[in-house]
Amino acid sequence: MEKVMTEEQSANAWEPKIVAIVCNWCTYAGADLAGISRIQYPPNVRIIRVPCTGRINPFYILRALQEGADGVLVSGCHPGECHYITGNLTARRKFAALKSFLGYIGLEGDRTLFTWVSASEGDRFAQVIRGVTKAVRALGPARKLVKGI
Amino acid sequence: MENVEKKLREEAKGLLAEKKVDVVVGYEKGTLPLTATPCFITTPEEADRLVWNPFCVLNLAKFVHDLLSQHHEAQKRVKPEARRKKVVGVVARGCTSRSLVIHLQEKQYGRDELVILGVPCGGYLDEKKLAALAGGEEIREGSLDDGKIAVKTVKGEHQAPLKELLADNCLVCRFNQPVIADIQTGEIAPVAEAEKEYDPVTAFENLPPEARWAYFEKEMAKCIRCAACRNVCPSCYCRICFAEQSQPRWVDIGADPSDTQLFQLMRMYHMVGRCVDCGSCTAVCPMGVDLRKFLKKLDKDAFSMFGHRAGVSMDEPALLGAYKETDGEEFIFEPKHGG
Repeated sequence: MEKVMTEEQSANAWEPKIVAIVCNWCTYAGADLAGISRIQYPPNVRIIRVPCTGRINPFYILRALQEGADGVLVSGCHPGECHYITGNLTARRKFAALKSFLGYIGLEGDRTLFTWVSASEGDRFAQVIRGVTKAVRALGPARKLVKGI
Repeated sequence: MENVEKKLREEAKGLLAEKKVDVVVGYEKGTLPLTATPCFITTPEEADRLVWNPFCVLNLAKFVHDLLSQHHEAQKRVKPEARRKKVVGVVARGCTSRSLVIHLQEKQYGRDELVILGVPCGGYLDEKKLAALAGGEEIREGSLDDGKIAVKTVKGEHQAPLKELLADNCLVCRFNQPVIADIQTGEIAPVAEAEKEYDPVTAFENLPPEARWAYFEKEMAKCIRCAACRNVCPSCYCRICFAEQSQPRWVDIGADPSDTQLFQLMRMYHMVGRCVDCGSCTAVCPMGVDLRKFLKKLDKDAFSMFGHRAGVSMDEPALLGAYKETDGEEFIFEPKHGG
């Protein structure tokens, strides 16, 4: 269980801000299921719903990092389960290259994370969010590519 | 080299005389010593201006795309029955031909709009290395004899073997023969040390992340966002570049270092599986940003992850326009049970 914070504590303590860009058909529904099943997960994610992971311009991820997100999570349907048949398969290539490239220039690997969560995996969604929050928390506040630093 | 040049002029003359092409894009002698500049030949008489030597730097595929896309655009305003086809002849070495293949893969124009005059390439002269040889002085006279470059400046004369002055990408070029050509001129050029092509990338990968970030930050701080790299890149042909789009505004135009970093990151990322390592961007960069260090990584990844080499085969689809069910998934995040 997550610790309960007072208002004063939360104003002083740093909490990771994570942008989760998720697909409408699987992960968003999975998040929904986590919600209606009342599964607890950290409140650090801000979810952005898109039609498909294939619709995500890699610049969304970079832009989120620039605007001060401490981590970006992209999640869609498992390969082979895409609502648009192949959207996540083309996205997979894009993200593989992007993640490798960002690692190459020296960005921490856990700032950008990619995973698959299906509509029936509410539990997995909560696990992913817990895992991502933990990983980003371990890295501390973002300092690279951030505007105004 | 003279033979190639002679053959090239003959072929260009023939093509223009027979009206098989409307224009030949090639190189002509530059106005400064030891330079060549892109030129557009439209009449058989002008074909004698064409040259082929190690001073031919820029990738001509860019001009082919410009000519043809402008023509396509202009034809939209013409009555259908009055529309005409424009055929462009282009002098193409290995990297130029790969860029042409990329354009064809991406359906920018048809193969019938193109006549490729393939030339063997032994690499081109790096202007920055030449400037270093001349000690930063203005080069008054220069000559290339027997694989040796000699320059004359006000302060004296300098000499160096051509091989020492070749651009970095040419030294490790894997495709110094055109991958497609309609007319091939000249002998096959000697192969460069292609097996060393990823050495600088591997060395960089082995540095600690903080050192890599520091290098990236340092290089990007040099960038003045003149967009010369984009304008010269044959793979950068969008009519409206994301850098200039205002709705949405992808990248801010402020002086914040992160804006420049983002512009460069995104421009480079657009080169996944599309960069042919022609070196035009580094050649034109007025600030000497080490773009190649980063672009070569994308090239390496495209090959190591997906077995894709940019613009090598007409049968292969564009890298990011395709997928395989067996594509690697190592980067996918798996939470441990219970988080």
